[in-house]
Order: sequence, then C-alpha cells, then structure tokens
Amino acid sequence: MNTAASSPIIETYFAELDSRISDLPRPQREELVKELRAHVMDRLEQMAVPCEEDCRTVLKALGTPDEIARQFRMELILRRSSWRISPVAILRTCARWTVAGVQGYAVFLVAMVGYLIALSFYVTALLKPFFPRNVGVFVSEQGMNLAHFPVPPPGHECLGPYYIPAAIVVGYLFTLGTTLLIRFLVRRGRSLRQRLA
Amino acid sequence: MYMALLRNGTKAEPTEKWEAQLRKGCLELAILASLWEQRLYGLEILRLLEKDSDMVLAEGTIYPILSRLKEEGLLESEWVEAEAGHPRKYYWLTAAGRQKAIGMGRIWNSFAANLSALLRPVLNGRGGKP
Repeated sequence: MNTAASSPIIETYFAELDSRISDLPRPQREELVKELRAHVMDRLEQMAVPCEEDCRTVLKALGTPDEIARQFRMELILRRSSWRISPVAILRTCARWTVAGVQGYAVFLVAMVGYLIALSFYVTALLKPFFPRNVGVFVSEQGMNLAHFPVPPPGHECLGPYYIPAAIVVGYLFTLGTTLLIRFLVRRGRSLRQRLA
Repeated sequence: MYMALLRNGTKAEPTEKWEAQLRKGCLELAILASLWEQRLYGLEILRLLEKDSDMVLAEGTIYPILSRLKEEGLLESEWVEAEAGHPRKYYWLTAAGRQKAIGMGRIWNSFAANLSALLRPVLNGRGGKP
C-alpha cells in the first residue's frame, strides 16, 4: 500500500493540485489535500496489489486537479461572499476573481470604485473638524466639490457642521450598496457559470 | 458514464448536459440525506450516493462541498484514527443541517410531485393533439 500510495503518478497529481490552489487559504487547502490523500489510500487498499494502472484509475475517478481546484475555488468564493460583508474580504475575493476572467475584473472595478467613494466620504468627515473651511459640500458652476487644499474650493459650502454626520451616512450607504451589489454580481456569475458548465 | 458526462459537459448532448446539471444541483441535498442516520467519511458518502441514487460525479469534487457545508454550520467533522493506518474525516449533521435537509426534502417532494403530474400524459404514451 505504501509503495502505491507514494507512487510518482500520485505525487505528480498532488503537486499539480497544489500549484493550482496555492493562492487559497492554507488551513482549508491542507485539509482538502489531507482528505483527498486519505481517499486515494482507501481506494488503493481495496485492490489486492495496486499497480500503476490502479493508481491511474483511482486518480481518474477522483477528477483532474483542475476540476477539483475549480470546485474548491468556487465553494470558497460562495462561502466568503455569502457570509462576510467586510469590504476587505470582498476586495480580496474579487482580486482572486479577476484571475477568473473579464467578468471577475468588472466586479473588481465596481468594488474599487464603490469603496473608494465611500472612503472619500469617511476621510472628509474626519477632516472636517480640523479644516472646516476646506471640507464640506461646495456647490459652484463647476459642479460639486467635497474638499480642496490648501485653497478652499469655489462656491458656497452648504452643510456646515452637519457635513460630518451626513458624510458618515452617505459613506456607509456606499459601503453597503457596493457590498450588496458585489454579492449580487458574484451570485449571478455563479449561476451563469453553472449554466455554462 | 456520469463521470464522463460531467467532465465533457460541453461536448455532451443537450439532454445529457441537462441531466448532469440536475445531478449536480441535487448533490447538496443528497449529501445531507446520506448523513441522516450515521456518521460517514467522504468515501462512504460517495458509495452511498452511488448505490442509492447513482449520483456519481468526479469523486474529488465532493470534498470542497463538504468543507463548505461544514463552514456553513450544517455539518460537523472530526478526524478519526482508523485501522487502515491513516486517519479518516468523519462528518455528521448538526441541528441546522437536519433542519436544512428537512426543508430541502420538502421542497424536492412537492416539486417532484407537481412535475410528475405534469409529465403523466407525456410518459403514458397517449397521443396528444398536434
């Protein structure tokens, strides 16, 4: 059993699988590989004297490393995006997704833009008490400005001290909206892929 | 055959492709159902699926699904040292997993019953009007 379980074919298989999932979180990855190895050993033990051909058969039934890696990645994305709403986790998931194709890239862009807008509201809310003349909602012919340094933006500042709670609320709405949009897109992407699979 | 079918999804005939999709879609429920009465490790779950529902797939793909179900709190697991010389990871249903299995099972039953009713004339071989 030991000779077969450590046969070059099997080691090549697991090396290939490792290379395909190397970017995913280590604990889950190690657990998966440990389980798959146990599976292969169990399968080989059913055979009297496992030979190379048996190893091939067992690995073929297991699925290609690519197939398993894809499933693993999909399950991880599913789990992360449906259970966490932290922007950091979502951005990281999206960054991984960009590797998966154009659609992933689009989702990543949406996330970046949404969270950056949210961030700019939070930052200006923080700056308002220190630079009351430079930060706020300035409306002029050029449109709307939130902040400008060192000279205050043109136009009339319309919110005054109320800018702080207003910016926090708007920033929060952007964070929430972006997160929900990303989750929606990721889910839709998944069903699209399942249809294409 | 189903293995080949799942692998070559793009090349398969449309009905075969649909069948593969259907099997894939029911896999989660089948896994939860297989654990209803006992603790099992991955290979035992696969054998049960093979025997009772001929729901065979690329075997390795069951493990990522099990790990997600665990993360979702539907399953619990533990590595157990076996006589085989290597440990095996056993899974069992949590209370939430049982609830989910019941819920999914109910949906499946009513869905299957309605569709069967709809299919009765189709499969009875009575000639419909063109």
